[in-house]
Amino acid sequence: MRFTSKLFVSALLSAGIIGSAAAAEADKAAWPQHTPDGQPKVEGFWLTVVYGMGCLQNPRAGVGCLEEGEEPGRAAPGRPRPKPPNAASRIIDPPDGEIPYQPWARIKQQYYLSNYFEPTRPEFLDPQQLCLPLGPVRQLTWHDVHILQYPGYVLFEHEGGHVFRIIPLDDRPHIGSGLKLWMGDSRGHWEGNTLVVDVANNNSKGRLSRAGDFASDKLRVTERFQFLGADHMKYAATFDDPSTYTRPWTFGFDMKRAIFGAENPTKDDAHYEQWEEACYEGMKPVDYSLRPERSEESK
Amino acid sequence: MKRTILSLALALPALAQIPRTADGKPDLSGIWQAFNTSNIDLQDHVAQKGAPAGQSVVEGNEIPYQTWALAKKKDNYANRATLDPENKCYLPGVPRVTYLGLPFQIFERPDLVTILYEHAHANRFIYTNGSPHPKGPIDWWMGDSRGHWEGDTLVVDNVHFNDQTWFDHAGNFHSEDLHVVERYSLLDAHHINYAVTIEDPKVFTRPWNINMVLYKHVEKNFQLLEYECYAFDLEPYYP
Repeated sequence: MRFTSKLFVSALLSAGIIGSAAAAEADKAAWPQHTPDGQPKVEGFWLTVVYGMGCLQNPRAGVGCLEEGEEPGRAAPGRPRPKPPNAASRIIDPPDGEIPYQPWARIKQQYYLSNYFEPTRPEFLDPQQLCLPLGPVRQLTWHDVHILQYPGYVLFEHEGGHVFRIIPLDDRPHIGSGLKLWMGDSRGHWEGNTLVVDVANNNSKGRLSRAGDFASDKLRVTERFQFLGADHMKYAATFDDPSTYTRPWTFGFDMKRAIFGAENPTKDDAHYEQWEEACYEGMKPVDYSLRPERSEESK
Repeated sequence: MKRTILSLALALPALAQIPRTADGKPDLSGIWQAFNTSNIDLQDHVAQKGAPAGQSVVEGNEIPYQTWALAKKKDNYANRATLDPENKCYLPGVPRVTYLGLPFQIFERPDLVTILYEHAHANRFIYTNGSPHPKGPIDWWMGDSRGHWEGDTLVVDNVHFNDQTWFDHAGNFHSEDLHVVERYSLLDAHHINYAVTIEDPKVFTRPWNINMVLYKHVEKNFQLLEYECYAFDLEPYYP
């Protein structure tokens, strides 16, 4: 049936009877198209629906993370206190929406969090403030990602901090376990319309949120990019790190095809370009971001 | 007729030596690296501790500085240990990113040639879709790259630079009026002739040229790793 209607549409197209808008509709109906090497064609700019890295859970004092002004004994001047919860947790497993930290790891995360708003030492600064690569998962929560497909490869070009990932689709092994990378070492394969990526060799220095969430360099991430249509993808990343968590857990969110055309004079999304986002080059020294008393001490 | 067939037959082996994409363009895909000492000094230089000697990659070995600029270059050289922007791990600019010493991977398609560098996740998107440079002035570290094919050579026009990068550790420098034209030509499946013309009327008396060969990695499972040089000082805080 679909075959017949595609034939009909292409007959109309070649006869010049229907225009490009109808052709675009026909493309959507025929989703997914495939690349010459058989991958579902998903290229383009994608953006998370829930943007931001403040915390992975809904903001709740004492468990996950805090909004500025919510910490005990301090209120942001002139700002109403946020009314938690203000967003659903992006942790989709376990069902309680919390990261299943081991007790020592929960204490460490809370320690980072409690020092986030008034950092007195460099390690309390969020890595993003220092322009460091954020790791394979967190990078997807910041700015857009341009997905490009080549024979045997999927590329992720992140606009944030010009970080990229090269994901080979063949069955080559991971690099040696002694090698650790900011963005990890990715190996992908397609299961129908889902891109499954195994990420090993994580140095895990990028942390997972501004709330001090972290993993160790023993972390293994399994990502599933489930493409549900031309413009909609469901993303899920399972974190497996027995040295830090009591069980594997899964962080996930929806992503939509990013429409930047409205910002272009041509109104044409096809001509959007990622322009240089140098970050580190304009960074202030670490001391600048610390509380003044500490900066004085370190002089 | 006979002569035509003969010349075709002679030409074919040469054509067969370079890989081509589906649309017949030379296929530059792969992981490449410059193996020379140009990052230390583009011109002839004697060996120093930790810095091997090297032959010039500058045509004629002369960089045609204006008088004031030659004095500045000499000052840069004298103070290179502290002044070289590479020490701060800033994005290295073009063409230095090519011969900085680390591998880079090229992905090619008809409308775009992407180059991803191991050095600090630097990237370049070379649009080959006929689009012009965006309207300036823009001061980017890596400039704006637009490419086109002249026969089997990828010609890349680069403008919109800042004046903060150097061409090498020897203090060779430019202004924000830098204009770089790169030519990538496959010599065979595993070698690219990399020719660069540098133009900057604020600093030089005439355009000058760089020539070197880029080598393709053929080791099984070779891949880019990371060199986040700006992170080295900060890493201890993120165990």
